[in-house]
Amino acid sequence: MNSLCPVMPFVPFIAPMQSVVEFDNVGLRYGTGVETLTDLSFTLYPGSFYFLTGASGAGKTSLLKLLYLAHRPSRGAIRMFGHDAITLPRDRLPGFRRRIGVVFQDFRLVPHLSTFDNIALPLRIAGIQEKDLRGPVTEMLAWIGLTERADARPATLSGGEQQRIAIARAVIGRPEMLVADEPTGNVDPEMARRLLQLFAALNKLGTTVVVATHDIHLLQEVEGAQMMRLDKGRLSDPTGSLRHPPRPLVLKN
Amino acid sequence: MLLDFVLPAHDRKLIPEGRLTGQMPWVIAIMLFLTLLVAAGGLTLTEAARQGGQDLARQVTVQIIESDPAQRAAQHAAITRALRNMDSIAEVKPVPDAQVRALLEPWLGTGVIDAAVPVPALVDVRFGSVPTTETLTRLQSTLRSVAPDIRVDSHSSWMAPFFELMRALVWLAAVVFLLLLVATSAVVILAVRSTLNTHRETIEIMHMMGGTDIQAARLFQRRVALDALLGGVVGFIVAAVVIITVGDRFAAVEPGLLSGAHFPYYGWAILALIPLAVMALAMLMARMTVISALKRIL
Repeated sequence: MNSLCPVMPFVPFIAPMQSVVEFDNVGLRYGTGVETLTDLSFTLYPGSFYFLTGASGAGKTSLLKLLYLAHRPSRGAIRMFGHDAITLPRDRLPGFRRRIGVVFQDFRLVPHLSTFDNIALPLRIAGIQEKDLRGPVTEMLAWIGLTERADARPATLSGGEQQRIAIARAVIGRPEMLVADEPTGNVDPEMARRLLQLFAALNKLGTTVVVATHDIHLLQEVEGAQMMRLDKGRLSDPTGSLRHPPRPLVLKN
Repeated sequence: MLLDFVLPAHDRKLIPEGRLTGQMPWVIAIMLFLTLLVAAGGLTLTEAARQGGQDLARQVTVQIIESDPAQRAAQHAAITRALRNMDSIAEVKPVPDAQVRALLEPWLGTGVIDAAVPVPALVDVRFGSVPTTETLTRLQSTLRSVAPDIRVDSHSSWMAPFFELMRALVWLAAVVFLLLLVATSAVVILAVRSTLNTHRETIEIMHMMGGTDIQAARLFQRRVALDALLGGVVGFIVAAVVIITVGDRFAAVEPGLLSGAHFPYYGWAILALIPLAVMALAMLMARMTVISALKRIL
């Protein structure tokens, strides 16, 4: 289990210490309502690990949606992988999204696809040949302990099993940035720890990880991880450590 | 775009089979059946108007309006001879008196003709090519030197309203044909939108993972193409049976105005192309509908 990343190889194409994400005075408003996110300014660096915390309704999921390019902000500037994400033409979005792995809070598995097909989905979308994806997906199934349920549909699986599939799907393509919304909410502590180990291993290989969570115990699991705290749509420390290169990451034993 | 019809098996699973199938092929079959019938009707009318128009435009009837039966018979023979000596005329057919009487008897009764009503003698003439107005005028003056009381009736002049009606019906068929194609497109668009709504979640997940609009559109195109193909085959078979059956009934009709009304052989090739064209149209509509809908999602 030492090899924690049964995922596709990738060639990193971000220069060291070039930011992965830069937010500058970003605001997000749904319709004509009040701003859900206000004046967010921060920088995420390659190979760094961030926990995003905050009370329910603080705007964590909205911030994650901006990070995985599901929404454009109402105001402000966002740079992602060295490009202006605000003016990014729509036809270039898929290329950027393939560089981001997402674990949705509600898993969002395709209900009529098997466990295997759900995990393989990002690779197939990226045009990976069947012969090349079978090995990594099988290995990933083994790692999340669902080899026996490879043909099962999500409806027949428990919440924890579905969550593991959602995480496997997010990391299988070896993304440059992993965004996870409450990824350990439905799994037992041991599985939560293993999933965090997977995230940390990916992080060591250069993936920037952002994990939104309520679980403050998780914050202690990954040493060197930085914290972003949202309070009523505002980042509580927008000009603090987030603006600086991350400290070396150490996973506690 | 037609190559998008072929999808790997795992991609086909993304939108389950049977969602778009079901009612769709049958609706398309009905639309195709009506479209093919209208197309067949239009082609038949076009062919009939073309053939009938050409035949009738070459035909004239010469009437010898002489009250004295003996003189009329002599002039009838002289006119017939004169016509047979003209190079531009392909066929001269004197109409026997008995046939003329038979034509009039239903209206005038037997025994009255000859005694009370002088009946003109007729000669049917068919030109080698469509005669001009000058040719007909020249023919009339030439024949009047043989028999002063003659009249030359061009068939095309009295049949003109009929052929105008046929041409109008051809245009009407073309309009109905186009309307049916528009209706078929509308059916496809509605079905694709409905399926898109059903599978919005799957498409959004694909999007979030970097799936392109084209990748999503291909999933729908394939299903629409299969439905259109199935509907097209069923619609074509039923329409072909109807066309052949109605064609047989037409063939049994005595020669007359409808004698030129038969479905041309080249029409089958056109009819066979229509289901394929509808399939391509359905795929195009599906692609445009999906891409247009997805543009509203970031």
